[in-house]
Amino acid sequence: MTTAATRPRPTTGRGGSIRKGEAPAGWLMTAPMLVLLGLFLVIPVLMALWVSFSDWGGRGSPLESGVNFIGFKNYSSVVSGGGLAEQNFGMAIKNNFWYVIFVVPIQTAVALFLAVMVNNRRLKGSGFFRTAFYFPSVTSSVAITVLWLFLFSTSGAINKVLSWFSIHGPDWFNAPAGILHFGAQSGPAVLMNHSFLRVTWWDWLGGPSWAMSAFIIMAVFTTSGTFMLLFLAALQNLSGDLQEAAMVDGASAGERFWKITLPQLRPTLFTVITLGLIGCWQVFDQIAIGTHGGPSGTTLTPAYLSYQTSFGDGNWGQGSAIAFILFVIIILFTLFQRWVLRERPISKSRRLNPMPARKAER
Amino acid sequence: MKSRITRSLLMGTVAAAAAIALAGCGSGFGGSTGGSTSGSSKLTSSKDALTVMIGSSGDAETAAVKSAVADWSKSSGIGASVIPASNLSQQLAQGFAARKPADVFYLDSGSLPGYAANGSLLAYGDLLPASEKSDFYPSLVKNFTYNGKFYCAPKDFSTLQLIINTDKWKAAGLTSADYPKTWDDLTTVAKKLTTGGTTGLVVSGQYERLGAFMVQAGSNLTNTDNTKVTANSAANVQALTYAQSLLKAGTMKFAADIGTGWGGEAFGKGLAAMTIEGNWISGAMTADYPNIHYAVVPLPAGPAGQGTLQFTNCWGIAADSPNQAAALKLVEQLTSKDDQMGFAKAFGVMPSIQSAASDWKSTFPQFAPFLDAASYAQGTPTLKGVSQVITDLDGKIAQLKTTDPKTILDSAQTNLQALLNQ
Amino acid sequence: MKPFRWSTGRVAAQSVLYALLIVLALVYIMPFLIQIATSFKTEQDAAVNPISLIPSPFSLAAITKLFANSDFPLWFMNSAIVTVFVTLGRVFFDSMAGYALARLHFRGRNVVFAGLVAVMAVPGVVLLIPKFLVLNQLGIFDSYTGMIVPLLVDAAGVFIMKGFFESIPVAVEEAARIDGAGTFRLFWSVVLPMARPALITIIILSFQGSWNEFSHFLVATQSPNLMTLTTGLNSLANGGLGAGTQYPLKLAAALIMTIPVAVMFFIFQKRIMNQSEGAVKE
Repeated sequence: MTTAATRPRPTTGRGGSIRKGEAPAGWLMTAPMLVLLGLFLVIPVLMALWVSFSDWGGRGSPLESGVNFIGFKNYSSVVSGGGLAEQNFGMAIKNNFWYVIFVVPIQTAVALFLAVMVNNRRLKGSGFFRTAFYFPSVTSSVAITVLWLFLFSTSGAINKVLSWFSIHGPDWFNAPAGILHFGAQSGPAVLMNHSFLRVTWWDWLGGPSWAMSAFIIMAVFTTSGTFMLLFLAALQNLSGDLQEAAMVDGASAGERFWKITLPQLRPTLFTVITLGLIGCWQVFDQIAIGTHGGPSGTTLTPAYLSYQTSFGDGNWGQGSAIAFILFVIIILFTLFQRWVLRERPISKSRRLNPMPARKAER
Repeated sequence: MKSRITRSLLMGTVAAAAAIALAGCGSGFGGSTGGSTSGSSKLTSSKDALTVMIGSSGDAETAAVKSAVADWSKSSGIGASVIPASNLSQQLAQGFAARKPADVFYLDSGSLPGYAANGSLLAYGDLLPASEKSDFYPSLVKNFTYNGKFYCAPKDFSTLQLIINTDKWKAAGLTSADYPKTWDDLTTVAKKLTTGGTTGLVVSGQYERLGAFMVQAGSNLTNTDNTKVTANSAANVQALTYAQSLLKAGTMKFAADIGTGWGGEAFGKGLAAMTIEGNWISGAMTADYPNIHYAVVPLPAGPAGQGTLQFTNCWGIAADSPNQAAALKLVEQLTSKDDQMGFAKAFGVMPSIQSAASDWKSTFPQFAPFLDAASYAQGTPTLKGVSQVITDLDGKIAQLKTTDPKTILDSAQTNLQALLNQ
Repeated sequence: MKPFRWSTGRVAAQSVLYALLIVLALVYIMPFLIQIATSFKTEQDAAVNPISLIPSPFSLAAITKLFANSDFPLWFMNSAIVTVFVTLGRVFFDSMAGYALARLHFRGRNVVFAGLVAVMAVPGVVLLIPKFLVLNQLGIFDSYTGMIVPLLVDAAGVFIMKGFFESIPVAVEEAARIDGAGTFRLFWSVVLPMARPALITIIILSFQGSWNEFSHFLVATQSPNLMTLTTGLNSLANGGLGAGTQYPLKLAAALIMTIPVAVMFFIFQKRIMNQSEGAVKE
């Protein structure tokens, strides 16, 4: 668990003459990284920031002289324009919000559950189970999405399985109804007649559509394995003493888990949850490949909407504005995570591991 | 400023080149260097090979366009290659922004205003020889006219009609005398044809199909000049209410609701006895469902008479193309009678020129109703940003069975009005 | 381990545990089995028996069409080219930067490191539009350069390498230094060979990352000659090869593109599985 603490500290400030010439070497060796990250991370962000405040129409470069600064106009049409742009943005936020609400707790719980199950040292074939649970995480989002479209098609495998239990499965990717509406077509007038971002409160409260639910299941399927590994690593580093003491005291397995194991896992739990929160706001690939935001805009996400608004509809300014709003949302979560995990050895060793962050971006 | 200068230069270019075209049958093009318009009053011209980007419906279309373009390339000596786009609008947008767009490309009437507004397109319509220009169906020319300028030559067009599975028709005891002439007729036959696993009428649940009912009721989303939004007109409400009644009766279903991608698939798989589709269905029927026997008949007339929707693409030419002169030549060839008839045979489109009509009808007598619709069909609205509104509307129409038609149309009215007010 | 008795309760509990795990494993594996089976089905069969694991009739139509009648081989090659260059680039640049940040003392190192931490927080998806704008501005839009160069360094990889170099003792390097080796020779011939375990981690991550990369290629290219497996499959999924659902074709393409990553996964399984601790400990 505390690998960072047991690691030898870097040798700072030691050595005299042999350290000569390190400055040029240091800059030279970090130069490729600085140039590439600067060119393809920092400058793009600045350029898009400019576009989000400009009237660039999508022809030639936004840095040409015919492009004008138009203040917050792009932002205001997205958040309060009263038109379709605002409605789509509202839908995107609503959809992604429900996606987060469902994916983060479920994937965390599933990952923890799987980790606890396969952590049993007496378990035979533990390697097989780990492989099975982790494998979906290494496959490409494109491949998985195509597979998902097939499995969740109207007369596809999932609905076939449901029919064994006499359940008439929904029309997944064609069904825009919110699952929390439970089939109701319209709600109380007070909810129907008031809206936020041009989406009625009835719709805000409707939960994810069936189409989005299929993507929620997919997210759990592809990320729970990664987070399982994180929990597994944490579990294996737990000290056995407390467990044994509790066993001697006659605590049941359940009690031991809730009262001893879980509190000790708190840092990992927190990492998993915040990585989930950050990753879940970045849903793009599935939508671009599978649904293009449909049915009825119920799988629009801010990331896809910004792409579609720019590349599809030629509203580059609005698209960039949406991207920046999303940027702020994600950065807030990231800063929150870093603030909570600051100065703890666990956080450091976790951050050094890129796998979860990467996969969570799906 | 550069783009503005380029644009105003282009307008001059267009005027000047038009004069040349009339005088010398287009042979006066060319001669300028480096593919730049600045300082020149002609179309750009260079040795650069042309790229032609198409949004293809499938292998047949890609092959046909490739072969036509290759023929032109051989006779003109100018290289040209065809790129089938996987996402045409995205790839066009990237090309325009990069200032290296495809020289010639498919462009649908809904996307025209956006690209015309940002100066990406060459408005070459008036550079075409007068005899060719006047041969296009006037309604198509209107579709590609923006701010008074005729931008691009209509490539071909399609209309919607009623497609009937003749075996199921006979099985239901119906004859050709029963082909529906009115909405009531349609209600009746749809009911008769709905049996077991077959639904009487299956259509894609979107404006691009149900809009035909709106035209039959005497309206559309906008007036034909796109100067007034009429989405929530009483006629449109009546049209959707009629469609809703069929849905509620279970005699009409949307393709997606029975697990198919579009009306043609439902029809081809025998899940539907009738569908409303365009002439492109012939290709799919031949290739994918050769065993289904079908007939094409005119859609029934509504309260305001006959009506249907038409769809069309044009051959766009990029303002940033370094070889506009050659591109224009290519387009003239591609819109010629020979090439258009070739495309018609390969993938079922209808020629955009009136002089090819009789040829087409004699080649495809069974599809004559599609072409006959040219006189009464209406286009879809062309306003900047309209495709987003129609996507939104389509999503709502998919829920028509359980949603109030007026509510659906009111929201379309608001959204379209916002576009018009821009 | 403490001795324990195999009471009947214990046996029952164990059986339940195994049963549960097997069911769960099936849930996780089934989709892939269905995918494999469907790749060898006819379209008709795939539509009617979406869940059956035995194609009847067995059909190679999808695979044949992919290889004979589509650009699939080209996509595969493009993916391979990009993956090789990106992986080489990351191994080299990540380790170099990681080493400099861990071991070399130079003014501004802390600023560079803080900057690295900052850019790691930039979410990838908000970069779609901006990246396109920059590629466009640099004139490398729609080229291999534009596909590869932006991926050549990843902040996370630099982080891993930095962590690794900080974890190994400095003694060897100090000895080499005293022998008069310059920084670069030291890095190349002494440090890098020692870093093999961490480099393998970088290789795994960048192979998987660039092979599966989608959104970057989507915005960085336009011509079909530059399609990779991911953008190619995307075009297939959106009706690129004709009408109809064509699930066997799409699933076969998805299956084939998964194979290299799967092979990689099974070869380095142990390492990947232990990565959550290993990458740091080694």
